[in-house]
Amino acid sequence: MTAALEVRHLVKKFGGLTATDNLSFSVSTGESLGLIGPNGAGKTTVFSLIMGELIQNAGTIHLDGVEISKLSTAQRIKKGVSRTYQVPRPFAELTVRENIRVGLMPNSVRQMVFGNSDKARETELALSVGLSEADIERNVGELSMGDLRKLEFARTLATGAKIMLLDEVFAGLTSGEISMIAELIQDLRDQGFTFVMVSHDLPAMEPLVDRTIAIERGALIAQGSFASVLADETVRAAYLGT
Amino acid sequence: MNLRWYHFLLWAAFAATLMLMPELVSKGTLRTMIFACYLAIFAVSWDLLSGRTGYISFGHPFLIGIGAYTTAILSKRFDVPLELSIPIAVVVTMIGGLIVLLPALRIKGSYFALVTLAYMELIYQLTQVVRPDLTGGTRGISGIETLTRGAVNGYYLAATLLIILTIFSWALMRTRIGTALWAIGMNEESVRGSGLSTTKLKCFAFLASAFVAGLGGAFYVHYLGSIAPRALFDINFLFTILVAVLIGGAGTIIGPVMGAFFLVFLLEWLRPWLPGAERYFIYGLIALVIYMYEPKGIIRIFSNLLGKLRGANK
Repeated sequence: MTAALEVRHLVKKFGGLTATDNLSFSVSTGESLGLIGPNGAGKTTVFSLIMGELIQNAGTIHLDGVEISKLSTAQRIKKGVSRTYQVPRPFAELTVRENIRVGLMPNSVRQMVFGNSDKARETELALSVGLSEADIERNVGELSMGDLRKLEFARTLATGAKIMLLDEVFAGLTSGEISMIAELIQDLRDQGFTFVMVSHDLPAMEPLVDRTIAIERGALIAQGSFASVLADETVRAAYLGT
Repeated sequence: MNLRWYHFLLWAAFAATLMLMPELVSKGTLRTMIFACYLAIFAVSWDLLSGRTGYISFGHPFLIGIGAYTTAILSKRFDVPLELSIPIAVVVTMIGGLIVLLPALRIKGSYFALVTLAYMELIYQLTQVVRPDLTGGTRGISGIETLTRGAVNGYYLAATLLIILTIFSWALMRTRIGTALWAIGMNEESVRGSGLSTTKLKCFAFLASAFVAGLGGAFYVHYLGSIAPRALFDINFLFTILVAVLIGGAGTIIGPVMGAFFLVFLLEWLRPWLPGAERYFIYGLIALVIYMYEPKGIIRIFSNLLGKLRGANK
């Protein structure tokens, strides 16, 4: 079976520092993959490479068997892969509706000028991630961190993503908000979305992943079930710095 | 675009007010209003680009100058009719807009602003030394054919152009592309992360801005009947445009129009008391106070007042 997302022998160097070191992994359609590693292991770099925000020195990235390594970020997103960020990046002076609208926009100037926005779809997306009717017309500056995370999901869904790369999705949230976001991810998993998830909150992440890989200094050091990866001696040593 | 009935009403009132002015004010005031109209057009042009995308252009006189010089040279030196020279000038200005776009693909913020400032200085020097037989060198070109005669006709032309360009720009910014351009100003990476090509969007903003600047510049030169590099590619001219946008309300299209009229009439109002350059000190002070009190400009002061009135009536 063709993997939904496959990374083959990816290498990224920043001067003398190798941030991604011959890394290969794949995710099947509908699967949720956990990506763990200590601070500075290169997890976010992997996401940036997949999205084309950084360009690799070697290796290839494939979506449904088709190489996307040479596509722009916008083209990759239109192919169905999208990401969230450690710190949410909303459009601060726009409303929730307008934020979602940007995600729904076609990449065509003519259609942007002459086409109409799909208000029903904007509302549907906002409600589907747990934002309320009242939130939709609010300025994003008025939202809590939990609601900003929900908005990120709505914007990601708006782009038509089938594969979502979630970067530190629980960072800065209260325990109540973590439960809400975990529930949202579980809902999306049930709907068949594919995930690659990075989080330092391992207990929150555990029930949400089918499989886990661990990296250290950009290289793969372990893979398997969440429990087996966490029990791995190399992983423990990487986290403890021994 | 989400147009409401009161939008049509307000625009009709705006157009009617401008068109009634020749009946209400003296010819002297009308001449001041002509300058206010052209300043408003240039401010709207700057707002389309910088007010929305956050790419602060200090080289706007470069674009206005391309439009003005192209039609002036074509009509004066080559006897090209104005019906042809003005559209050509607009197209040439839009090509100039793409030249200004080039650095925006690589740099932003203060670096971009400084590069665009260099464009203005470059064209200022070029117009004086390259083919002075065409550009008129440091003295510029005089005796350029004018489109109208007299203050009243000149005013009607300037006001009509302002009304058309302002409504065009306002309507354009109410479409999804207006939202996308505004989003670029807030977080360009996130716009890319939404699957949109920011290069394409910026290209559109630069072209739209250049279109308005070129058209405004071309009509302005055919109102004045003369053109000189020192008057056009001048830092004070640039700052007048910037101040009009900032005190009016950047990114709103209507704000810069209000700012332009406020600025021009403030200077005229101060003239009897302070005929010299000292009135610029007062004008700078007033602009600073407005900007400090409400960074979103006069338009926000008005909308806040309107909001309070609505609240009081409930």
